[in-house]
Amino acid sequence: MKYFWTRFLPSYPKVLLYMLQSTEYNLGQYLTWFNRTADFRRVMKRRTLDMTKKVRILLLAIQAIVFVILLVIIAAVYLSTVYGQMWLLVALLLLITAPFIVAYGLAVPLFIGELLIQRPREKVIIANAQKKLNDHPGRRIAVAGSFGKTTAKEILKVVIGEGMNVAATPGNMNTPIGISRFVMKLKGDEDILVFELGEEKVGDVRELSRLVHPEYAIITGINEAHLSSFGSLENTVATIFEIEKFVKPEKLYKNEQSPLVKSYKNKSTLWFSDEKAGDWQVGHISTAIDGTEFTMTRQGETIHAKTGLVGVHTVGVTAAAVAMAYELGVSIENIENGLRKVRPFEHRMEPRPMHGAWVIDDTYNGNSQGVEAGLSFLKSSGAKRRIYVTPGLVEQGSKVREIHETIGRQIAGSVDVVVLMQNSVTEYIKAGLTREKFNGKLIEIDNPLQFYTNLDQFVAAGDIVLMQNDWTDNYQ
Amino acid sequence: MKKTVAVYFGGRSTEHDISIITALSSVIKPLEMAGQYTIIPVYITKQGRWISGPKLKDISLFSSGKIEDFIKKAKPVTVTFDGGFMLNKTRIDINFPAMHGSFGEDGSLMGVFRMAGIPFVGADMDSSVIAMDKVLAKQVAEANNIPTSKFVFLTRDEFLADQVGETAKVAATLSYPLFVKPAHLGSSIGITRVTTEEELHNALEVAAYYDNKIIVEEAVANLIEVTVPIIGNKVPKPALIERPLATADEFFDFENKYIRGGGKKTGGAKQTGSQGYSELPVVLPEGLDDKVLQTAIATYKALGLQGMGRVDLLIDSKSQTVYFNEVNPLPGSIYAHNWRAAGVSTVDLVNELVQLAEQRFSDNSQLNTTFSSSFLQQF
Repeated sequence: MKYFWTRFLPSYPKVLLYMLQSTEYNLGQYLTWFNRTADFRRVMKRRTLDMTKKVRILLLAIQAIVFVILLVIIAAVYLSTVYGQMWLLVALLLLITAPFIVAYGLAVPLFIGELLIQRPREKVIIANAQKKLNDHPGRRIAVAGSFGKTTAKEILKVVIGEGMNVAATPGNMNTPIGISRFVMKLKGDEDILVFELGEEKVGDVRELSRLVHPEYAIITGINEAHLSSFGSLENTVATIFEIEKFVKPEKLYKNEQSPLVKSYKNKSTLWFSDEKAGDWQVGHISTAIDGTEFTMTRQGETIHAKTGLVGVHTVGVTAAAVAMAYELGVSIENIENGLRKVRPFEHRMEPRPMHGAWVIDDTYNGNSQGVEAGLSFLKSSGAKRRIYVTPGLVEQGSKVREIHETIGRQIAGSVDVVVLMQNSVTEYIKAGLTREKFNGKLIEIDNPLQFYTNLDQFVAAGDIVLMQNDWTDNYQ
Repeated sequence: MKKTVAVYFGGRSTEHDISIITALSSVIKPLEMAGQYTIIPVYITKQGRWISGPKLKDISLFSSGKIEDFIKKAKPVTVTFDGGFMLNKTRIDINFPAMHGSFGEDGSLMGVFRMAGIPFVGADMDSSVIAMDKVLAKQVAEANNIPTSKFVFLTRDEFLADQVGETAKVAATLSYPLFVKPAHLGSSIGITRVTTEEELHNALEVAAYYDNKIIVEEAVANLIEVTVPIIGNKVPKPALIERPLATADEFFDFENKYIRGGGKKTGGAKQTGSQGYSELPVVLPEGLDDKVLQTAIATYKALGLQGMGRVDLLIDSKSQTVYFNEVNPLPGSIYAHNWRAAGVSTVDLVNELVQLAEQRFSDNSQLNTTFSSSFLQQF
């Protein structure tokens, strides 16, 4: 009740639209956020509203709703002079509930638009894409897993691309409609198609596999991501392994270092890790801020791998991509050349220099394996000051406390300075730090945007700053 | 609980604008980032009016020229001395002067804070007075066996009374090339390098326009000019030895220091001072590093500096003699770029400066400043 008045601020409509945009117009997430939020002044912390065409239309819809409410209020006030005080109460009630009418009222045009326009249109696009894919001669690789999909996909694209015509789904286009849009843009002469398969609920991987019919696949790893929508880890594992029904066991690479992948019984024996990838042996690993090197050997053949990727955790997936590229007929020379072109991906262990320090942007990482890998790199980096910045992980379901206490314990033994972006998991991370008797410096930040934009004030020569995870404004 | 820090900038000084950059980019921002302080910006106008308000933390207020309107509408700050220090009824825990030159860096502001009995960052009043007078600073250095280049000084009145005579007297005492400087100004303002008597006369005129005291120094041969930022009270801690790089004019003048190398060209206030034209750290002939650091620290101590300072030194690379040139008790942008290169972030730097201020205040509080006597009972 204390912040009820913030719903009447002029910025309120834009805050609603901002959140709709942040949740990619997911009405469920939007309404969850709305029902949970008390103070509407402190919502836009990380970015500002992007005034797209859709936003402008919705802004007009809000203005129309507000206009109608005002008309009714005025009418009620007028009626009160004729028919008595009762109408004044109606006007007052309408005034008080106006922000809720606006917030929920926004959902109506969106829902109708989705039902009548978006879904039918998407159905057509997906059907056309299916038809186009059926006729496409390219061999297909699917990348599935809770984490590391983009990295695997990009490595495959670059390495195989050194001798073949490869197309891969861009960015996070990993839903049926995203993949279909990608397919519709294909020229038809591609040798290899690489698809990232997204998963949020049971059946997602099956649906996408039916669409793309992969010949090869990689399961990058499984963890608690989207636990809330999966309901259980068993469901997550089963969903990702839906791919095995579409790919022969000898063409399905699985991450041996992911306990949940390893524990799942299936026919495939193609494992990859930082020790092997199929029958290739991996060795001589070294990693630094400017990249990672290792060798792969098999029956007298040796591949000298050198990428710009940071961290030992990149070795396994790179090795799997290399093994797959080799199977597809890419020469060792071309593989080595391709690997040298692999640069850090945007917001994924992406280093950049700053005043003699290094800042590693890993804000797109959103899983505990990534945290462990990042901290492991930071610990062994030899930096003058090892600085770790995190808000924690989102969507960890019922394991949220346990996971963040573990993260706190991992941080304690790995860094000199920890910067926590304050939110609902901060206390759990701090509990982990306390348990491990962290004796470094702890800084808590309540304005992440200010921190990120003034990071240069915080670093000095010799530092390595690792920024992991992002906590978008629809989470608290 | 957060401590309240008042940051002072602007002022009745030729370095007014530089002070704004120092305050906004190198003091207020990192203090805010430290998360331990509530910041009160206090802007002192060119006319000496004190105003305050959160909008003053925004550089665009100054760069857009809207500051003039803001000044007109702003209420002047009220200051209360009540055994502590209050600004507009807000109790201030620590004062952080971010001012350069006259009425800020020269001890004037420090005198006010001493009177109020409040911790403040940087050099104390007496050392500021000495540091900001190039003649006094050199005399103190000489008295402490720290080499300085040969110099003479004269007052503005003396020069104006007999311009030709005074010029000739200086020319007869020193050997060209010479540097003519206003004794109290920083940022290389009003400084001229001269090689003839005519140039010397003109340069003295220029210096007399800015200051009532003028110093004329002999140039050091085989020159390497270096500067050393230092922080600390009892135990001075140097950052890296930096060599400001001159242009074709061989001279590190105002334009070089703040405009060509500073934010205007590169477009951001975060660019501080001279780093665009510096060798950092400088590579000196073997053995000179230690000598430079020893001289810098000896000067810092001799002048009684505390908190922070920057000691400028001149090296004759042939004879390997290190001369004290001048000292700056509040260097532009607090020389954050140098500290950062030395491994100290700007946030850590301002934190340490605040701690040093509190430490000195605590030490000084142990001193007895009153004395009970029966003197008044005689009346």
